[in-house]
Amino acid sequence: MSNKLLDVQNLTMRFGGLIAIDDLTFSAKKDHITSIIGPNGAGKTTVFNCLTGFYKATAGSMFLNKEDKKMDLKKFSDFKVAQKAGVARTFQNIRLFPQMSVLENMMVAQHNKLMKASGFSILGLINSKSYLQKEKEAMKISKYWLDIIGLTNRADDNAGDLPYGDQRKLEIVRAMCIEPHLLCLDEPAAGLNAKESAELNKLLKFIKNDKKTGILLIEHDMSVVMGISDHVVVLNYGKKIFEGTAKETKNSPEVIEAYLGTDD
Amino acid sequence: MGKDLIQKSLKDSLFTGIIALALFGPIVGLRTVAKNEVLVVEPKWFIVLLIVAFCAVGRFFINIYSYKKEQRRGEPSSLGKAISNFLDEKGSQIAIAAIAFSIIFPFMPFADRYWMDIAIMMMTYIMLGWGLNIVIGLAGLLDLGYVAFYAVGAYSYALFAIHFGWSFWICLPIAGVFAGMFGILLGFPVLRLRGDYLAIVTLAFGEMIRILLLNWYELTKGPDGLTGIPRPSFFGLPFKRYPDEGVETFHTFFGLEYDPMQRIIFLYYLILILALITNAFTIKIRRLPVGRAWEALREDEIACKSLGVNPRNTKLTAFAIGAMFGGFAGSFFATRQAFISPESFTFIESAIIVAIVVLGGMGSQTGVVLSTIFLIGLIEVFRDFESYRMVAFGGAMVLIMIFRPRGILAKRKPTIIMGKQG
Repeated sequence: MSNKLLDVQNLTMRFGGLIAIDDLTFSAKKDHITSIIGPNGAGKTTVFNCLTGFYKATAGSMFLNKEDKKMDLKKFSDFKVAQKAGVARTFQNIRLFPQMSVLENMMVAQHNKLMKASGFSILGLINSKSYLQKEKEAMKISKYWLDIIGLTNRADDNAGDLPYGDQRKLEIVRAMCIEPHLLCLDEPAAGLNAKESAELNKLLKFIKNDKKTGILLIEHDMSVVMGISDHVVVLNYGKKIFEGTAKETKNSPEVIEAYLGTDD
Repeated sequence: MGKDLIQKSLKDSLFTGIIALALFGPIVGLRTVAKNEVLVVEPKWFIVLLIVAFCAVGRFFINIYSYKKEQRRGEPSSLGKAISNFLDEKGSQIAIAAIAFSIIFPFMPFADRYWMDIAIMMMTYIMLGWGLNIVIGLAGLLDLGYVAFYAVGAYSYALFAIHFGWSFWICLPIAGVFAGMFGILLGFPVLRLRGDYLAIVTLAFGEMIRILLLNWYELTKGPDGLTGIPRPSFFGLPFKRYPDEGVETFHTFFGLEYDPMQRIIFLYYLILILALITNAFTIKIRRLPVGRAWEALREDEIACKSLGVNPRNTKLTAFAIGAMFGGFAGSFFATRQAFISPESFTFIESAIIVAIVVLGGMGSQTGVVLSTIFLIGLIEVFRDFESYRMVAFGGAMVLIMIFRPRGILAKRKPTIIMGKQG
């Protein structure tokens, strides 16, 4: 299959005696939203941390198929996953730069590009035209995304002063600023009300369809998961217990058992 | 409500009095005096009573003050806020006025030798504060060993100038580069540390450099210090009354009477220019990607990593650039004093510079100037009271922390503005 964007094989993560992820194999497609669901402590966030280089997986392989290049994600440590492989992520508890303005948050996300343009600060210090040009372009990209989430008029306010729902959306579009191939979202709908969830669904669909970016989603909010997922992977105790479309997942006895337990 | 408050405040100030008594009773109240060749304890209860009363009454008023502030929450009416708003609005005009004042300062009628010396000292601290502001204020790395870079700059300047006879303008960048290298050297082992742990290690690093200077006798002459550091010259024209045969001096070249103040005024302008360069550089680099990355790193390191920002390089540049400016200030210090010894680079210097940055308001360039004038000025005003100077210094810090808990100027300006049109 050539349209596998992310290919995870036999991923295992052990913390001492605890097996957080046990021999997990799954894949995500380029034009898909792939959801990872499971009860609390099932190992969902650990999968993300392995993918994005925050943890070093104990065993298994993770490959990202970028155009026709195959990249081994295990080779990259933390910041390089975002820089070199183009895997962006958001966090369960929002991690913005609260004392910096919304626009600055967007600009930091374009750091590597701008750093090169500023000649590692030397061209920037002498106000070179080529740098100023690149800075303007970066601002345009920021504005483009802020327009989409409707935050352009608050661009100069501190990110920490935004309402909760806006902070969530800002974190997602900030991650999009690194122009990722794969976007990993860790519970983006947590704490959102129904209206905000609907807006989030729209934003994610836009990213998937118009930006052709693969999305990997951890979520508890089933209205989000069932509404937008093309593919669902269910984890329990670090093991994959089910994989299929949203509809199949809803009706799967294994999944119901994991969430609700069995009656004996 | 009011009665309740007064009752509570009285109770609180009573406690404060008891604590003050327990502290100052033994420290101030009991004094050993030699009488007939025996040590006798002489009680000084009156002074203790005064101090305790001061603490208790002061505490009472602070309680009342903070209560009133609570009541007025949301109303921007306090004096500190008014000053800060004023500085925000008229910031650029005030900066220009301040720079203009510092340029004409040496020609003011009252600017005698004493005032010039204080001005030079303040400028040195302002420059160090601006340098450290990059590390603490922008990158958020609490560096308690900044004086080490000051020392490295001073010693490398002195050694190059003494042994190779190179001029100030050649030695200055060399000293800066050396200090910057030491910044990277310190940076590497502390990359993973943050907050308190980083503070401890940098503190130790500062002491290591001092002890190294103290014990490497062959190079640094240890506690004897380095003497005969060449004075700076005005583009090759020395400031000397009786120059060597055939050497033109500053005053003969310009056809002036010899005056030792000429050299002092030259030094003053030198440090003024160095400090202004530091300031201009910091203001500019804050708006570049690397400056924004520093601030982002201060805000959230993990988020930085998830966006592909290299935390190692970002931290190291902050350490190196901050250290470089410390090195420049150090070489100025060496050439001004013409004598340096490890005595000048003790921990208290680091502490003063950190205090200047923190009390000024983290990351605020103007705040550094204000807190330097306040703190160093206060130390100078109390010069005649000897050991009470440090009490005044401590008192000033306590006052700033009560009235402006986030520093004199706490407001941060964004580095890039979208504006209305985008």
